[in-house]
Amino acid sequence: MKKLNNFNHNKPVLRMGKVLFALIVGLQLLFFAGCKHDDLSVPLPNENIRPAADFVKNNYEMRLFYAALKKTGYTEQLNGAGPFTVFAPTDEAFNRQGIYSTTDFDKMNVDSLKKIIGYHILPRKLMVNDMPSNGVDIRYATLTGPELYLSRAAFNPNGGVENELYIDGVEVIRKDVVVANGILHLMDNVMKPNFNKTVQQWLAAHPDYSVFVQGLKKFNLWDQLAIGTTFTIFAPNNKALEDVGITEASLNTLETGKYIGDRLFGAYILYGRHFFISDSQVFSLINNNGAYNYFLKNDSHYMNFGGGKLYPEFKLGYSLTLRSGNTISDVILNSVTSNLTAKNDNLCSNGIVHHLIRGLVTPEQAIKK
Amino acid sequence: MKKERLNNRMIKTGFEQLTWLFAACLLLLNPGCVKVEYSKIDDPAYLRVFNNLNYVQTLGSKDNKVPFFCMLINPVLDGNGMPTSAEIVGDFLDQRDAYAPPYPSHIGTSTSLNNPEYPGKENVLVGPILNGFDLSSWAQVPSGKIRIMFAYRPKNTVPFFQLENQLKKDILIDTVLNLTSKEVYTLHVLQKDFVTKRTGLLLREEIFQKLPLSDSLTYVNFYNMSAKGYWEADKSLKAEDYLMASFQGGMKDEMNVFLSLYEDQSNLSARAATIPGFKGKYLANVKLNTTTSDVTPYVSFPIWSGKTANGITTNMWQRFDFFVPGMDITNNPFYEASTDNGGNWVSVNCLQNGKVRMTSNDNAAILPNLLVNIHSGVNNPKTFATVNTVEVVNGRVYLTTIQRKYAPPIY
Repeated sequence: MKKLNNFNHNKPVLRMGKVLFALIVGLQLLFFAGCKHDDLSVPLPNENIRPAADFVKNNYEMRLFYAALKKTGYTEQLNGAGPFTVFAPTDEAFNRQGIYSTTDFDKMNVDSLKKIIGYHILPRKLMVNDMPSNGVDIRYATLTGPELYLSRAAFNPNGGVENELYIDGVEVIRKDVVVANGILHLMDNVMKPNFNKTVQQWLAAHPDYSVFVQGLKKFNLWDQLAIGTTFTIFAPNNKALEDVGITEASLNTLETGKYIGDRLFGAYILYGRHFFISDSQVFSLINNNGAYNYFLKNDSHYMNFGGGKLYPEFKLGYSLTLRSGNTISDVILNSVTSNLTAKNDNLCSNGIVHHLIRGLVTPEQAIKK
Repeated sequence: MKKERLNNRMIKTGFEQLTWLFAACLLLLNPGCVKVEYSKIDDPAYLRVFNNLNYVQTLGSKDNKVPFFCMLINPVLDGNGMPTSAEIVGDFLDQRDAYAPPYPSHIGTSTSLNNPEYPGKENVLVGPILNGFDLSSWAQVPSGKIRIMFAYRPKNTVPFFQLENQLKKDILIDTVLNLTSKEVYTLHVLQKDFVTKRTGLLLREEIFQKLPLSDSLTYVNFYNMSAKGYWEADKSLKAEDYLMASFQGGMKDEMNVFLSLYEDQSNLSARAATIPGFKGKYLANVKLNTTTSDVTPYVSFPIWSGKTANGITTNMWQRFDFFVPGMDITNNPFYEASTDNGGNWVSVNCLQNGKVRMTSNDNAAILPNLLVNIHSGVNNPKTFATVNTVEVVNGRVYLTTIQRKYAPPIY
């Protein structure tokens, strides 16, 4: 009786077990049915990524660069196997050099244009991550042959991530654009390599700076620029020197013996250094100090050089402040901020020439006492 | 009958199972078999290398060559004199750290390939324990005549031999050293003349492992390995580093060293209580020397001299004042925080981990405490006496600490 009772008691349990079992079998069936797959289709890799030259052609921000590529016959090569890294200046960058339409390239010497355009291309694939962090003046061989100078601000040692890239002093405004046969970086300016030209030859070839050249010659500062080590020259054009009272006519009447040439014209020469304006910006990011202070050669006067992105355009510029000495009590003779970015960073074989918009020293400030 | 069949089946399945198990074991075991060839150097000498050429990355110095090297021992050169391989390679040799610890402990937290010393982070055979001193910061190198080369290399993470060919040709030093078997050496790459920028090597045969040194005294010796003409040079030519305080301008060619022992390294003041008998105590004389490799004599101070020292641990710290002969702490004419003293007075505080500055007015550079306080046995911390070398190189001061092997911690 007791047993029977027990049996009766277990009945619902047994029933539940049966239901559960049926459910499990059902689930199993569903599970196996779920395993049945039709052929999977994996999305194919995009085969329509364009090679470098075609990419430039199809991008209306780089029309002038494409015209230059076509003119110099690089298009076919850039559509070839690669790998390439293309530093492509925007149309705006070319405009700043006075090139506004594709026909402007027709006026140029094709061979020199080819050298300059080839200097904007590396025969390798170079993404930002391949460049050493906080590397300054890292050199890479270009398609033309000579090396370009690359500086990358990646982090500040006191903490903080930076992400700025400069090549030959020109800012890269868009990085790592992937094309089928390499990488493209967009440049804010055209690079200005002068290959085997010295700073002396560069200055002599630019009539804009004829008064400056005349002054350098008059004070025996000219010949050193042909040889010697390295120079960074802040070259004032004729207009800039006129502002401080120096013209061709006044130079002719100037008595050399009465003036300190190392101040009057030597103030524009920084000896033994090789500064792009962007170096100052890079060091202010990676080292919190983008300034460089130095005594003029053979003179007691002291110069503060500093560069960076200037308000309000945030384009690279620099300032020079000349003082009568290096203490706080010394007077400031003149301070000039020069912001014509496109005219700076002329890379020569023995240095760099920057454009200075105003003169620094008047003849009166350089009289021998 | 039925039972027999069942039995047979059970035996059969059991056998099958065993077979499978055996096969699986074989599968697992076979790939696990690797023939290990242990590297071994017969008759080794023990070598530790420091690159004392220091640099700061600034706008003004950006065109200077960065003294970042690859050290090659017994290199193999091709026809053009370019190294193609070497018996021992110490790559990514960066400028040395202010502190060279007794154990290569900087490996642990480092995420960089740059090596502050050789062997440092390199995974190589290291020295044994000699006279209780653990030489795990010294690498084994072949004894006898070895050719050693220091090649400039770009500061990146590409191993030397994978660099482009034109980057492997710039050799700073190429020379031959004669090392005696089982001796302990430190090798310094140095600038020997500040004006001509001449560089060279200084190989020092250490003697600490041969001396009968006490476990209750801390030993220290001093070297001035600055370049000739550094302290005389104009300030604008020297790298600025405010952490080096009075050391920035360098010190004169002959200096006297005075020791002050302070009671408590949690009190960040150079005016705090000193241990009686150890306030500006004359310790040693140090002369500029970058040519001879003599070991300067070790001087010592007792580690249990402090009031709170209990034979297990002590909280004392050390300060070294370097004065030009004729000057000492009693007739010091300079203001206590004066850092620009024309090389007549420089000072360094050695406390905690070498990263904390005094809160009081002070002109001292900072280095870690000479004493090692660490968990050992049941004591946490336990203080250990050490053997130290303080080296002044141009505008910098370095501390190398060597410690005896100690008992592991018990938690």
